[in-house]
Amino acid sequence: MSTECQTFTEKYDLLGCIQCGRCTGGCPVTVRANLNVRRFVVDASYEDKLEELAKLAEIWDCTACHTCAVRCPKGLKPLEVLLGLRAMIIESGKVEPTVRDALQSVLLEGNPWEKSRAARSDWMEGLDVKIAEPGVAVENLFFVCCTIAYDPRVQATAKNIVKILNKAGVDYAFLDESESCCGSEVFTLGEEGLFEMLVEDNTEFLNEYQAKRIVTLSPHCFTTYNAHYPDLNKPVIHYTQLLDEMLKDGRLTWKGDLQKKIVFHDPCYLGKQGGVYDEPRQLLKNIPGAELLEFERRRERSLCCEGGGGKMWVESESKKERLADTRIKDAKALGADIVAVACPFCVLTLEDAMKGLGFEEEMRVAEIMELLGEFVEV
Amino acid sequence: MKTFVCIKYVPDTSEAEVKVNPDGVTVDSSRFSFDINDADNYAVEESVLIKEAEEGEVTVVSIGPKQSDVMIRMAMAKGCDQAVRIEDDRIAGYDPLMVAKVLAGAIKGQEFDLVLTGCMASDDWHMSTGVAMAEELGVNHASMVKKLEVLDGGKVKAYRELEGGLMEVVEVELPAVITIQTGINEPRYAPIRGIREAQKKELKVVSLDDIGVDPAAVGPDASQVILEALSIPEVVSAAEFIEGEPDEKAAKLASILVKGGLV
Amino acid sequence: MGNVLVLAEHRQGVLRDVSFEMLAVAPKLAADMGGELMVLLIGSGIDDLAQKIAGYGTKVMVIDDPLFENFNADKYQKVLSALIDDLKPALVMTGHTAQGVDFMPALAVEKNLPLVADVIGFDYVGGTLKATRQLYSGKVNATMAFKPADTYLATFREGAVEAPEPSTAGAVEKLDSPLKEDLPYRKFIEYIEAEVGDVDITQSDILVSVGRGLKEDKNLPQIEELAKAIKADIAGSRAATDAGWIPHDRQVGTSGKSVKPKLYIAMGISGAFQHLAGMKGAKTVVAINKDPEAPIFTVADYAIVDDMFKIVPKLTEKLKELKG
Repeated sequence: MSTECQTFTEKYDLLGCIQCGRCTGGCPVTVRANLNVRRFVVDASYEDKLEELAKLAEIWDCTACHTCAVRCPKGLKPLEVLLGLRAMIIESGKVEPTVRDALQSVLLEGNPWEKSRAARSDWMEGLDVKIAEPGVAVENLFFVCCTIAYDPRVQATAKNIVKILNKAGVDYAFLDESESCCGSEVFTLGEEGLFEMLVEDNTEFLNEYQAKRIVTLSPHCFTTYNAHYPDLNKPVIHYTQLLDEMLKDGRLTWKGDLQKKIVFHDPCYLGKQGGVYDEPRQLLKNIPGAELLEFERRRERSLCCEGGGGKMWVESESKKERLADTRIKDAKALGADIVAVACPFCVLTLEDAMKGLGFEEEMRVAEIMELLGEFVEV
Repeated sequence: MKTFVCIKYVPDTSEAEVKVNPDGVTVDSSRFSFDINDADNYAVEESVLIKEAEEGEVTVVSIGPKQSDVMIRMAMAKGCDQAVRIEDDRIAGYDPLMVAKVLAGAIKGQEFDLVLTGCMASDDWHMSTGVAMAEELGVNHASMVKKLEVLDGGKVKAYRELEGGLMEVVEVELPAVITIQTGINEPRYAPIRGIREAQKKELKVVSLDDIGVDPAAVGPDASQVILEALSIPEVVSAAEFIEGEPDEKAAKLASILVKGGLV
Repeated sequence: MGNVLVLAEHRQGVLRDVSFEMLAVAPKLAADMGGELMVLLIGSGIDDLAQKIAGYGTKVMVIDDPLFENFNADKYQKVLSALIDDLKPALVMTGHTAQGVDFMPALAVEKNLPLVADVIGFDYVGGTLKATRQLYSGKVNATMAFKPADTYLATFREGAVEAPEPSTAGAVEKLDSPLKEDLPYRKFIEYIEAEVGDVDITQSDILVSVGRGLKEDKNLPQIEELAKAIKADIAGSRAATDAGWIPHDRQVGTSGKSVKPKLYIAMGISGAFQHLAGMKGAKTVVAINKDPEAPIFTVADYAIVDDMFKIVPKLTEKLKELKG
């Protein structure tokens, strides 16, 4: 059985694999789950094994962090074999109800959170936000992200950046509730048909707006647009890159005195997949009174928080320590007061871990925009 | 097994704020998101499960606007074979007895074993349409079914969910209308590719005239009830709201419970 | 001419609450419509039930026949159809229950009579009978008016009003069953009791109950900790049991259990009517929900508007501390 009349071998270039094992060697999930992606790459070349492989629970443990792809000396993407197996389950319809509901919601309401599309811009209430119009050219067209739009915990990313942009007089506009999911998690959950549809529809939608570039608030949208949307007529950057520009141009006025130690957790979708490592650090370093620490596992070696790859909707069967817990413990051992992140999923998973470990009195997980909201003049 | 499954396109108002329009008899639905009625979704799954076990055919019947086609295509992607969507603004949709006449009208005259539909619509809670349909069609019925077994000899065993979780087991001769309770099964996902494939299946859009239903028999004049007014019930709360930061609130509550001898 | 016929409901030898609750509204209706109130009871070997409900001050008519050993929607429909022809009541009312919904709509179609289902209140204004019901997750009340008809039909919501106190004993009259033969096309087989786990929540003193707000079963441990701290049993709304987080025998609501604890702590439960109906017997209700408009607050004695996960851990800690 194969998708789109291509065998797995053809689709994922499995014969290119030399079985060196660098993928599994770098896979962060192997410490807690029975996932050996190197094995999957070889097993998936046997068409008659596919159905059996697709039923394994561990294919849902992959977070799509892409460490395997980054490390592969042959330029292959081992994780995509796992996503291909997920696609088989998706086509059968027999997925977890949570996955079913999230995907259905993307189709019907343009977001995976089962929220009404009409409420997507509710976060803008009370703020002076410039709304994008297809006929009106702007320099920076902002794409919000479903999670940032709807989840009160991470709406601050959008709210604070609006205030800073207004104060600095930046030429920008935000998409309104006609904005639809970029499909990052649709892709990793294996709903190929829906993802293709999103790519087509979103490309057409975004291309209608005149802007120098698209700025995303979430690294997931950033990476998905850059990796999977070949026909976009504008480049896509992450907000940390824009703010870093503003920083260099002296357009950010700092205030206050933090007096805390911050450690930056590189989001997999910003760092190892997007190559953006320095800009977030520049922003954090410039917060008055901030001391920037570094994890040993930093930059390309950052330890995935397990928020991506569909994990918001699928629980792992493993009872071993979550990677997010490990990360928070590492931060505590470092003596960090704040774990700074630049991704809404990292905020949610790391903060959950921090609360679960009982560290909320001594530590804090904060999105960079939350900190900038406190230490930049608006 | 020939099955008809009747589904309704309803708004999800569990989280939405509902406002009554100035006309006093409709609500502002501009911010509502619509989808298949929950219980009907379970009915669709049940009809497909029966088709997979017994072989046969499933036809979807729905009264609704063009926007509801996606809901119907999703049902067909899951395994329903064809669909009939009735679009006609002369139906008194607020009266389940009128709705039942229309749905029955679309089915009358055709051979069938089962008609499945959800036991309750989440927008109006009547729990009447399915059972009324049975009488219109002149067939047997069982409502609030939490488990359904197809038996030999043209019968089904229906496990009705009563208050308190007690199950009433009845055997009903086919043909029959069975109204389905949520939780009877786990509805499958309809992947986009499946929905695209389902575009090839027949979705007939019809008016009352097309199905031989007299508009005068199902409109507001035929209905024996009038929807006079809508109003927002007063949220009369005698609760003592505990205020403060989350930790303060938790502490205050703990104190109230212990000091009050409640724990 | 404005007689009101109330069909009382019973099961397994017990009259159900809604039977008495309807008697809180029916007498006034009968008076308004210028007629008599009659309670109807259909069953087999139900003398004691007839006497019990007759104690609420109304006349009771009993059809006592082995044909009606167990509830059968088709049989009930036939009986009522015949009685409507004979007695010509102005209003026939029964509970909006698994029993009532199984035959009243069919009866309405058969006799071409108006039906309003799930009524929470009646009003008789200027010769017109009006019934109030709800729409849109209970957020909107709808006033329905009956057009003139020989008989109005209604199903009345369980728990919408409080049952009255017993009063003088009314007369009990035996009626012959208009139905003489069994109906072969629908057969009662058996009742199956809900699976009883290790706890019968209908007997629990303290219940900690969770709803959709629990979000996933991985959040259960903190609820279990809270329950342990105050020796509570854990229950859930339909959302929680449908999701598989809480076993079905712990479901509180109209399709679950009716509970009457001293203390009911509802967390992440919006308070849909079906749930409220199951917990109305609770003496003290604490509600924690992040939606200030959640209907659960209408029945709460103490309320906290917040995300339950922001409250629960601290609450557990403080309770442990204070209880020593």
